[in-house]
Amino acid sequence: MWRMFRKRVDDADIEEELSAHLAIEVKQLMDLGMEREEAVREAQRRFGNQALTMEAAREARGFAGAARLWQDVAYAVRMLRRAPAFTVAAGLSLALGIAAASAVLSIADTVFLRPLPYKDARQLAWVGVRFKMMNGPMEFVPSPDYIAWRRDNRVFQSLAAMQANMGGTIYLNGPEPAEARVVRVSASFLDTLDVAPTLGRNFQPEEESPNGPKAAILTDSFWRDHFHAQLDVMGKVVSLDGQGVTIVGVLPPSFVFPADAKIDLLIPLAVNPAASHHDRTMSTFAVIGRMKPGVTIAQARANVRQLLDATSADLPDLFRNRPLVVKPLQEHRAGEARTLVLILIAAAACLLAIACANVANLLLARWAARGRELAVRAAIGASRGRMARQLFTEIALLVTLGGAAAMALVTVALHGFAHFAGGELPRLNETSADYRVFGLALLVCLATALVFGGLPLARAGRVDLLEALQQSGRGGSAGGGQLLRRALIAAEVALSVVLLSGAALLMETLWHMRNDHLGFLPEHLLTVEVPVRGPRADKAAREALAADVTGYLRRIPGAQAVSRTECTPISGGSGLRTFSRSDRPMPTAFNLNSDVALCRADDEYAKAAGTRVLQGRFFNQDDLAHPDTTAVINEAAAHLYFPGENPLGVKILGQQGNWRKVVGVIADSKNQGLKQAPLPEAFLNNLEASDLPDFRFLVRTLADEGTVAQELRTAIRREHPGQFVKVQSLNEEMGEMSAGPRFNMILISGFAGIALLMAIIGVYGVLAFSVAQRRREIGIRMALGAAPRGVLAQVMRESAALVAIGAAAGLATSLALSRYLVSLLYGVKPGDARTHAAVVIGLVLAASAASLGPARRASNIDPAVALREE
Amino acid sequence: MNQRIELMQGTLDLLVLQVLQWGPQHGHGIGQAIRQRSEDALQVEHGSLYPALHRLERQGWLESEWRMSEANRRARYYKLTPKGRRQLVAEQSQWKQLVRAVARTMKPVKE
Repeated sequence: MWRMFRKRVDDADIEEELSAHLAIEVKQLMDLGMEREEAVREAQRRFGNQALTMEAAREARGFAGAARLWQDVAYAVRMLRRAPAFTVAAGLSLALGIAAASAVLSIADTVFLRPLPYKDARQLAWVGVRFKMMNGPMEFVPSPDYIAWRRDNRVFQSLAAMQANMGGTIYLNGPEPAEARVVRVSASFLDTLDVAPTLGRNFQPEEESPNGPKAAILTDSFWRDHFHAQLDVMGKVVSLDGQGVTIVGVLPPSFVFPADAKIDLLIPLAVNPAASHHDRTMSTFAVIGRMKPGVTIAQARANVRQLLDATSADLPDLFRNRPLVVKPLQEHRAGEARTLVLILIAAAACLLAIACANVANLLLARWAARGRELAVRAAIGASRGRMARQLFTEIALLVTLGGAAAMALVTVALHGFAHFAGGELPRLNETSADYRVFGLALLVCLATALVFGGLPLARAGRVDLLEALQQSGRGGSAGGGQLLRRALIAAEVALSVVLLSGAALLMETLWHMRNDHLGFLPEHLLTVEVPVRGPRADKAAREALAADVTGYLRRIPGAQAVSRTECTPISGGSGLRTFSRSDRPMPTAFNLNSDVALCRADDEYAKAAGTRVLQGRFFNQDDLAHPDTTAVINEAAAHLYFPGENPLGVKILGQQGNWRKVVGVIADSKNQGLKQAPLPEAFLNNLEASDLPDFRFLVRTLADEGTVAQELRTAIRREHPGQFVKVQSLNEEMGEMSAGPRFNMILISGFAGIALLMAIIGVYGVLAFSVAQRRREIGIRMALGAAPRGVLAQVMRESAALVAIGAAAGLATSLALSRYLVSLLYGVKPGDARTHAAVVIGLVLAASAASLGPARRASNIDPAVALREE
Repeated sequence: MNQRIELMQGTLDLLVLQVLQWGPQHGHGIGQAIRQRSEDALQVEHGSLYPALHRLERQGWLESEWRMSEANRRARYYKLTPKGRRQLVAEQSQWKQLVRAVARTMKPVKE
């Protein structure tokens, strides 16, 4: 190694040695009588190539030398700059391939491999009972069981609970009313995660009781945003939902909530020690436990099962066919995203493969074109080792450039993901560019490049100089090279088809989500939420407020229909009730599979939502005079509970003794969100009985969201100051709901688009190269009478064969693989013939268009010119 | 007239070591000596001579020093090391064996 530094000195030495040689030669010649000038010339001639000798001598000395490396790099830079198209194409392919692979693998690493950001995270377990709800399975623990397990277990150091539906919104009252996202947690929650507040203290067990003191702990970001990081916030009392709550602590900035929800505040969970299974209003919790050191998951599960057997004894039906789930928390967090992440990995792998194929292709073409140059260099004395070193330096430089670009891309991509992923990918806030992964992708590309870059060198050594010079300037690479290039391109085409099919399926999913059977008219539709929380509001005052708001809304210019309702067309109402009808026996309790969603609404609902009434009518003024006597059901309920009969006139939902008569059937709307089938729903006309704390209005208006919000706020401020109001357009809400699938689609489409571009460029390149190589042959054929159209047809046929093979392989692969996409799709089957056919046709058209260029150039060859070419 | 005979790499090493038996010499002198002793049949390419000299030095069979040459400038003079001397003996005997074996093979087969 230290020889590197001696090198400068020794270089000079060699030079001096050789100059001495020349001087001696000159002297000898002069002694023989030559003139000095002539002697110098003769000495030089006899000596031969001095530079070359120096090289060889230097090499013989074994100088690995930093200067040698530098020389190679400088040469490589020159060569790359001389072929900008190649450099840009190869560099870009590398950058995109490496970036995609790195970004996706970083995410996968975080989701699956990286431990959760809590101390001893391996000891954290998720505990729940799996209930099959109408909209999918959910795991939670009923509160009586939680209380007993917490008390009696032998395996957990601490067992914490959170409210089962992660995160609700709470309103800060005061001069600037604001929304805050809050989660209710048990007092042991922070201890279980082993997190301590940076300011103040944790919750205390007394605060868990429903009538105990009210406390709240802020997250660091909320403290900074809303309370301006003031240190005197401890002990301050704020009004949350009209109730006074004391702030007792602030969490550290590193705190990450163990669910994908943005949280501003923690408040204590109300744990009622007298809860029982028979209590219809019992709460359910999401439970996390920290196992004692040395306890395994299996042991924990066994212990909890024993406890479950004991606590379920008083109502075994509740737990029948509902399995107990105890698994590591990390597994639970990764759970739903597993499919998506695996799909992303596959897509990124495809893209990386295409990028490598592209680079390989470009390299093969380039070296083929430089065969002549290599032959000449070999002839004048360049050693194969030297040439190999230079070529590899060029490749290494290219891969380095691509890699550097990729690093920048990855950082941008990950930030973009965190912003737009819309909750589809968990723990994105913990993801950062993982350099191991990056290195891996880089190595893959380097390996490919070296293999394909090295191939022509193996051939270059055997190139006959004469033969190389005689070729029409395009150099060696006969059949073997061409076949390899074509195979690579066919592979690229196949992979593109796979990615494009995936993207097309996801696009259709998104389209179906937004447009399929919406069941209502989403344009010009707004929801208005007026939260009324807290003890100050009594019944009469609430009703008065509701009436006032209805009035304000109706008076805003442009309003076509204003309805007070518990639900919107895309979200269910106030809960689920077991379905019952007066002419059948009453159902048993907890029969969760024959539920109907309830929504209390007034008579303008159908008009506001724009939903069609299929049979009978919606509520009218007469119904309002006799509240809670009528009901309107949706199509799904009609099909499910009245198959083959007419529901009108039947009395339903009378568990509490009050039967309602069905007066109408309304069309389904997507009341479970965009991706799920509609729930059976029943509308009731008893808004006064609503126990939801918030008022909700559905407003169909020609005015825009901003105007309505402003007018409403102005009006409310006059008579109900301090009242918070939220206005949102339904389109926006649907946009939020489809954010996840939209992200998936954009991501995969992005990959697919890039893949397509690279594949098409590859097709173009290989054809152009083939045409260029065969100029003379084509020229001869045209001189002998071949028609230009015939030549064009021949070239197109060549490309067609290539693309056809690739497309066929791609189609077969994508049909085989697309079934793994099932969980991401909606409204379209993975084997959908129309989609796949469209993709293949599109690809063939694009490839044909790309082939047209070289084909036309072939047909335009002037035979005279081509034949005259050297 | 003078057929240039291709020298295999190993042979050049042997010739250099042989020539240096009689004392240190610089590169030009070595090349000249080889040419003279072979009566002009072997003309060494300088492109191969100098690399050979440096290689032999790296392998430890030669050592070099700077001395004043007849052209009134410094030149590098090479001389055999004891290790080089031993190598020369070994290579000489190998060469003799090779020559004998090739000659035997080339002789016409006795009927």
